[in-house]
Amino acid sequence: MSDESGRQQDRLDPLVRSAFREALVVALIWLGAMVWSVGVSWWLGYGRSEQELKLVLGFPEWVFWGIVVPWVSCAGISWLFAVWFVRDGELGEDLEDAEDLGLGG
Amino acid sequence: MWQAWNTGLLLAQQAGAAPQVGSGAMLMLVLFIVGSLWIGVLANRAASTGGFMKGFFLGNRGLGVWALALTATIQSGGTFMGFPSLVYSHGWIVALWIGSYMVVPITGFGILGKRLAQLSRRTGAITVPDMFRVRFGSPTLGLMSTLFILFYLSFLMFAQFKAGAIVLQLAWPGGGDLALSEDAAGISEWRYHVGLLVFATTVVAYTLAGGFLAAVWTDLFQSVLMFAGVMLLLVACLSAVGGLEQATLRSLANTGPGFVFGPGYSADGGQQQFLPLSLAISFFVVWIWGGVGAPAGLVRLMASQNTNVIRKSIYVLSIYNLGIYLPLIVICVCGRALLPDLAKSDEIVPRLALLTTADWPGGSLVAGLILAAPFGAVMSTVSSYLVVLSSGVVRDIYQRLLRPQAPREELRLAAWVTMILAGLISVAVMWSPPKYLQVFIVFSTSGAAATFLVPAIMACYWRRATPTGVATGMVSGAVVVLFLYLCGIMGWSPPQSIGAAGGFRPWFLLGLEPLIWGLLASGSSAVLVSLLTPPLPAEHISRLFDRRTGAEGEAV
Repeated sequence: MSDESGRQQDRLDPLVRSAFREALVVALIWLGAMVWSVGVSWWLGYGRSEQELKLVLGFPEWVFWGIVVPWVSCAGISWLFAVWFVRDGELGEDLEDAEDLGLGG
Repeated sequence: MWQAWNTGLLLAQQAGAAPQVGSGAMLMLVLFIVGSLWIGVLANRAASTGGFMKGFFLGNRGLGVWALALTATIQSGGTFMGFPSLVYSHGWIVALWIGSYMVVPITGFGILGKRLAQLSRRTGAITVPDMFRVRFGSPTLGLMSTLFILFYLSFLMFAQFKAGAIVLQLAWPGGGDLALSEDAAGISEWRYHVGLLVFATTVVAYTLAGGFLAAVWTDLFQSVLMFAGVMLLLVACLSAVGGLEQATLRSLANTGPGFVFGPGYSADGGQQQFLPLSLAISFFVVWIWGGVGAPAGLVRLMASQNTNVIRKSIYVLSIYNLGIYLPLIVICVCGRALLPDLAKSDEIVPRLALLTTADWPGGSLVAGLILAAPFGAVMSTVSSYLVVLSSGVVRDIYQRLLRPQAPREELRLAAWVTMILAGLISVAVMWSPPKYLQVFIVFSTSGAAATFLVPAIMACYWRRATPTGVATGMVSGAVVVLFLYLCGIMGWSPPQSIGAAGGFRPWFLLGLEPLIWGLLASGSSAVLVSLLTPPLPAEHISRLFDRRTGAEGEAV
């Protein structure tokens, strides 16, 4: 890490840093959910014949393991994520006049 | 079990005769309309403190957990209209089509929520174009965003006006037709025109009174109504058919193996593949990133009260989504078991509502409650579009470009005139509506996400992003999606046998949804052009990204 980027990291608002870290974790959770859900559904639910139908609690087997279970799991993970991982922070006051930024913004 | 099976059979036999909508449905809709107007008045009082612009267009950044959780990412009337029709037509595979909703709460709030709420305060932004304008110090970028939003929202709004009028038309006692589809018979009837006028007057009136808060609160109201409707219908359907196992087996017997396996059932004997692997992956991308990049959703994140609200919204919406989408799929699978041969698949929810509650005490009112849900969803969607649209015109064009010193009363008048004009234009355009506006809804949703997602992420997290890079990303994302849709509309694409049966399809290049190509184009071009153009001044970036200390903090 160069000195400049190190200084930049030191100056970075903690909320920006935590928001970015949380966004990365969320993207990984999304990717994991996709791999699980599409993978299992493809494995157990595509190209099958009527005779191969297995039901779990009334759902076709692939729906139960590929949709219902990950959906309930994701609800649990979302709760854990929100309670344990997401950090609260000050959002700050409203800028009343954007011209203050000096770019005519 | 046997008794339930018998009841199911009886109900299925009764289904042969078309059920009629009783006065309960209209009563519920009238109650809903009165409730919405009352909400408009309450919102007017709440928004009248502080500055007009922030109060009327952003609810003074005061959204709490329930308002944010249940309104920022929920879909429009389609949840109760198009979606059940897909389940009825293609079977259990639609569970995979909508499966990505399991992570909508965490992505919708966890990717941009906190940072966007902070950035909008640091830039003083009231609208999405406002945020881009100040973040990148570029009035041109702000104006471009406004024009894109006006373009997409116009299509979306027209279609919703038509949907609202159709729901009122079918709720008319003795109205006959139950289909919610765009090509429902008798669309030119006087009932449609009366419905259109009542719908337009109601939604413009309460939005005019309460602005952003009225849109959010009616959205919350209809979300609760929808939850109650789904729960009631779930119990009614499962007891009518004799349990989920019976529902799956009987719907399989009524259709074929495609109903319980991928790539889904199609009435043409399997030539059309509803959800091949490429589209299954596509929709996991489309629903998630399309939702994150939707302008109406971005505004609500900007309006959130604090980070605690955003955090709690994640799990409140997780529970809500779990209680809506899986039950709706179960309901429509039950529908295929009870009513195997509906000519119009989008009749399924109203028909089930009438059929399964016929013997309940006050069954007509319960059916009315279930029918009122799509009306509420459409109304709240239009209301939020009206707010975003008028904020674009008033804040981003009138105040920024024409009358920077306009007083509060003049801005209020401009907002009202914009909303009334938008309502009048929508009524005029939809008086003799084109048949398949659904095409434009899908195009506008994908187009808006392809236009705004990458720029919003770059605005929040990438210091090196430049106005030219972001503008290039917006244009390239929009152009790619527009091109792939045009290819589908004009018949330029090669023959395709994937996607939903009937109607219109865009060009699924390499089997993927257009939004994926749009996002790839937008992301790559925005990064490349940003790296090739000079960065923004370090001081400007520092004010938006770095911690505030001492005198600087006070000054800003």
